[in-house]
Amino acid sequence: MGKEKYEESSSDEEVNSSSDVVEASSDEEVESSSDEVEASSDDVESSEDESSSDNEKVEESDSSEDEVAPRNTVGDIPLVEWHKDEEHIGYDIKGRKIMKQPRKDKLASFIEGADDPKNWRKIYDEYNDEEIELTKDEIKIIQRVISGRTPHAEVNPYEDYVDWFEYEDKGHPLSNAPEPKRRFIPSKWEQKRVANLVRKIRAGLIKVSDQHKEEEHNVYSLWTDDTDSVENKKHGGYVPAPKPKLPGHEEAYNPPVEYIPTAEEINSYELMYEEDRPKFIPRRYLNYRSVPAYDKGVKESFDRCLDQYLCPRTRKKRINIDPESLKPKLPSRKDLRPYPTTCYLEYRGHMGPVNCISVDPSGQWLASGSTDGTARVWEIETGRCLKIWEVGEVARQICWNPSPDRPILAVVLEYDVLLLNSGMGDIDIQTKMKELLHISEPGATEDAGDSKSAVTWIQHEKHDGIRMKHFKAVLSIEWHFKGDYFTTVVPSGDSKAILLHQLSKKHSETPFRKLGIPVTAVFHPSKKKFFVATKKFVHVYDLSKVEKIQKLETGVREISSISIHPGGENIIVGSKEGKMCWFDLELSTRPYKTLKVHSKDITRVTFHRTYPLFASASDDCTAYVFHSTVYSDLNQNPLIVPLEILRGHKPEHGRGVLDCKYHPRQPWLFTAGADSIIKLYCH
Amino acid sequence: MPPKHYRAPGKKKEGNAAKYITRTKATKYLQVSLNTFRKLCILKGIFPRVPKKKFEGNHKTYYSMKDITFLAHEPLLEKLRQKRAHEKKVKKAKARKNKELAERLLNRMPTYKLDRLILERYPTFVDALRDLDDCLTMVHLFASLPAVEGERIQVKRIHNCRRLSQEWQAFISRTHSLRKTFISVKGIYYQAEVQGQKITWLTPHALQQVLTDDVDFNIMLTFLEFYETLLGFVNFKLYNSINVKYPPILDPRLEALAAELYALFRYVATGSTRKPAENQSISSTEEKKDSDEKMDTCVNESDLQLAQLQHQLPSNEPGALMQLLEDSNNDDDDVDQDTIECKTLFKNLKFFLSREVPREALLFIIPAFGGVVSWEGEGTPFEETDEDIAYQIVDRPTQGHKFLSRHYVQPQWVFDCVNARIILPADAYMVGMVPPPHLSPFVDDEAEGYMPEYAEAIKQLQATAKKNVMPLPDLDNQDLADPQNLIADGVMDRTQANEAAEERQKLQLLEKQYHDELKMEMSGITYSATLSNKKSENSGSEEMQHKDEVVVPVSTEKNDEDDRAKLYMSRKKRGLYEAIEISNQRKKDKVALLKERKRKALASKSG
Repeated sequence: MGKEKYEESSSDEEVNSSSDVVEASSDEEVESSSDEVEASSDDVESSEDESSSDNEKVEESDSSEDEVAPRNTVGDIPLVEWHKDEEHIGYDIKGRKIMKQPRKDKLASFIEGADDPKNWRKIYDEYNDEEIELTKDEIKIIQRVISGRTPHAEVNPYEDYVDWFEYEDKGHPLSNAPEPKRRFIPSKWEQKRVANLVRKIRAGLIKVSDQHKEEEHNVYSLWTDDTDSVENKKHGGYVPAPKPKLPGHEEAYNPPVEYIPTAEEINSYELMYEEDRPKFIPRRYLNYRSVPAYDKGVKESFDRCLDQYLCPRTRKKRINIDPESLKPKLPSRKDLRPYPTTCYLEYRGHMGPVNCISVDPSGQWLASGSTDGTARVWEIETGRCLKIWEVGEVARQICWNPSPDRPILAVVLEYDVLLLNSGMGDIDIQTKMKELLHISEPGATEDAGDSKSAVTWIQHEKHDGIRMKHFKAVLSIEWHFKGDYFTTVVPSGDSKAILLHQLSKKHSETPFRKLGIPVTAVFHPSKKKFFVATKKFVHVYDLSKVEKIQKLETGVREISSISIHPGGENIIVGSKEGKMCWFDLELSTRPYKTLKVHSKDITRVTFHRTYPLFASASDDCTAYVFHSTVYSDLNQNPLIVPLEILRGHKPEHGRGVLDCKYHPRQPWLFTAGADSIIKLYCH
Repeated sequence: MPPKHYRAPGKKKEGNAAKYITRTKATKYLQVSLNTFRKLCILKGIFPRVPKKKFEGNHKTYYSMKDITFLAHEPLLEKLRQKRAHEKKVKKAKARKNKELAERLLNRMPTYKLDRLILERYPTFVDALRDLDDCLTMVHLFASLPAVEGERIQVKRIHNCRRLSQEWQAFISRTHSLRKTFISVKGIYYQAEVQGQKITWLTPHALQQVLTDDVDFNIMLTFLEFYETLLGFVNFKLYNSINVKYPPILDPRLEALAAELYALFRYVATGSTRKPAENQSISSTEEKKDSDEKMDTCVNESDLQLAQLQHQLPSNEPGALMQLLEDSNNDDDDVDQDTIECKTLFKNLKFFLSREVPREALLFIIPAFGGVVSWEGEGTPFEETDEDIAYQIVDRPTQGHKFLSRHYVQPQWVFDCVNARIILPADAYMVGMVPPPHLSPFVDDEAEGYMPEYAEAIKQLQATAKKNVMPLPDLDNQDLADPQNLIADGVMDRTQANEAAEERQKLQLLEKQYHDELKMEMSGITYSATLSNKKSENSGSEEMQHKDEVVVPVSTEKNDEDDRAKLYMSRKKRGLYEAIEISNQRKKDKVALLKERKRKALASKSG
């Protein structure tokens, strides 16, 4: 066989050489050579020695292949493209052209192929421009390669490894040491580690997971004996959370019909503010099975949780008292009689709101001044209008002289104060009055400095009296109890705001300087004291020394009027916010009692001269009558009892009762209203 | 000039600034996060305070400084810190993909116990009972939440809640300390009296609960954590007080039964031949007795043995638990009048629950008032066919087959009976009818100023029932105003005799009315119809009254008197007086609104 192979290779050489020479003969030669190959492959007896020889041959063939260079020497170029139009396909080793084989007719070649049974073995070698017929061995090799095996069947890729070095009996081993002892005993390090773990587990540092799963029900008797737990450790006033509100009828699944709001009511809830809207709207289910799950259950529970830990808790005293018990125990009104209760008379005649009234000291006559520019005198018991003065201006204030033998009326107009002879009393008095009200030298006033410009005393021709011309608007007038002195208040007069006048001498002076804006000024009913009310304070002066004794803090916003108790130790002050303050001068400079009486301005407060009564009139069309007992015992506080609310006046331009005065001897009250009526209330 | 709040160095804070601390500062002081602070506050029961002067502004939350120092010394704080550190380790391990380590660490999470905290917050048992309302409501709510894996709440905790709530109910039922019940839209309210404390709680309806997203479950679960522990200890103490071992060991077979109720119902309906349940229950109760005796005698008997002994228990639902308790101690020494009354309300009455009625609620209520109850299903004390059943509770439009020997009533009947403490006539509550209005037992109608019609009807029935019962000689704590009692005692003067006569006449009238009603029922007139008739009769007279009221003029005299008094009040008192007046007016308005609605409803019904 080896020879044959040899021949094969040699025949290849021949083919190569022959093809070089003659083209025509090459075909036959190829055929013959292929026949030989066939014959050789047909030899079935391929034995072991053959393989061994084959090895050598493979080596040889390799070398022979190296020797036999490919016929064409053009290299790896795209032949088809470059030599498409050439007659040659390249050059042989000697530089001669290798000519292209004549193209065979397709049909002919096909017929030839069909006839030839070995046609499937043929491959066209484009590079050398020749057809090669593969041998059976080569086919086998290809098949093996395709199926992924080694190309040659005889090659065993998994041969036993034969060591290249023989250890035995060489006398010089690589290592001769015996196996160490540590390979046969347990590791000390591991032992340490385990011991460490065991120790940790025993100490409880490491928990074995199985253990703590068991302890689920570890309940025990927590509260042993309730006796020993008396000491409550709770500090700082622990406040337990308030219990949730218990449900009412309306929360029932089937509430009574009246608890279910109508559709209109439910609609009206929509118009409410979010906070005011009821959170729960009752609904009625006709049976228990139709009640759905409550969708806000979890949310409400959550809200409760939030309340419990977020809301500050304070203990609030829940007052459960009868409202009636809050009312103070007042002495019965019956015991405090007499006091004015009902309207007895009305004095009509004024054309405008009656600003002021005054009762003469004898108690027979009533003088009134109105915005219609008149001042009138009425007979009290009959209501007859006795006298009318046309003063021409708004009468702001009117005041009888308190001395019974001097029936003089003082009327305050804008800038003037008129001292009028009322014409009451017998002839003696009248002559005296005429004398008194006569100013000998008209225009002659006191020459003493400041007051000169402040007041001018002039004889009033029309009404037979005196006209005192002030430099600025006069607000109020008040007589001294003896009837000779009187005071006028000019609020915008600065240092000349308070003026003191003496009727007998026709003399004026300004003893008080540096006040605020005075509102009103009053004489003490018996002592030489003088009270000046500014907007917030009441100043008490000693007239003999001309110095301030006290300053009373009223705590109200604006004082409107002031009245002195006939005893002289108590004062009431009315304010424009409807509050009335009672001062006890012996007690303190702060009010003993403040009463929020009226809803609107208090216009006038007044004491009764003999009865323990006082009254307040206000723009809210009411007048209040109070009882006030002042005890001579200094330890006992005065008793103040509200007695009666007198209504009857009608509001006019937002004003109600403008003035109120008591009768000097009877418990009667006169009120002057903005509705141009004067009323008399009797007991 | 020094600044407004200047404090000289070395000088301590004074006043409110020293006594109170804001929340942010408190967390800084304790060196904890807000979450941990919140948890601590919840567990320790610490709440914000209102200082007299809010020195850091109105919008801040203030805590008492004492509370905060109290927290600072809390060992739990350290535990929570450890837990946080541990959680960090787990997180780290997970981030490093060291699953094994993470799992191992998770198993070793530091735990804490709350028993000491409970003792601290409630030094006596009564304190704990007093504060149990919220606890019970919460536990019952969580017991009814869906136990689904992957939800926000662990299944284990829901089961625990369920167990705790049933244990509580079993105790209440056994000791007959349930006093009031009320079906509201929100759920069922119960009120029990334990050791003189009135405990009210709400259980949701036995329906699927809605888990909303606007709820922070972390907060709720923290509360629940405390409540679970508290209720566990309370239950232990209560069970101990009636000589029952706690925790009770239950039969696992029947725990499964509850879930398969419907299948069992069908199984029974097909006519399976089974051992009569009653015998079983009797035998098992005997066994139970044995077991309980053993429990008492040999303390160190293993739980396993007990479990084996109790394995034959007929049921494990609240009913079974109750039976267990029933037999364990029968000697009641100091029971008050109320308890006796409650115990005997349903005495010798057998109830049967149809499958559509809320079983758990009724299983709880009926035995609490001395009744015997059964339901459809396996392991029940008796079957539906039992001849002795007096009442069958049904909640369906129509009842097909009816036993003539028993009443078929709607569930509301039981609740109303319990609240009225008498057996109400079942006619108004029959199947398919609209039951009379359900009234809240928590309302004091007289204080409220308005009494619903049905409340009056119940009151009359109560009065008749009281007269029918002969007074017992030993019950001398009944009210002496009752003339019947006085007759029995033989102490009675003339006027009282007259009163008694009048009472009797009234009673006769009532009885007559009652009989009339019964007759009407027989002839098929519904309750509501009669009500409306009666109302229409009454309404005429009522209107008359109304007119009278209107006619009476509000006298100015009276007003003056009021004004006069008001004048003299101090400003504080006047404000108070006015506030009281306003609230009274509001109450009156409410009543007026109710009356108005009632009138309109009647008008629409008759018109």
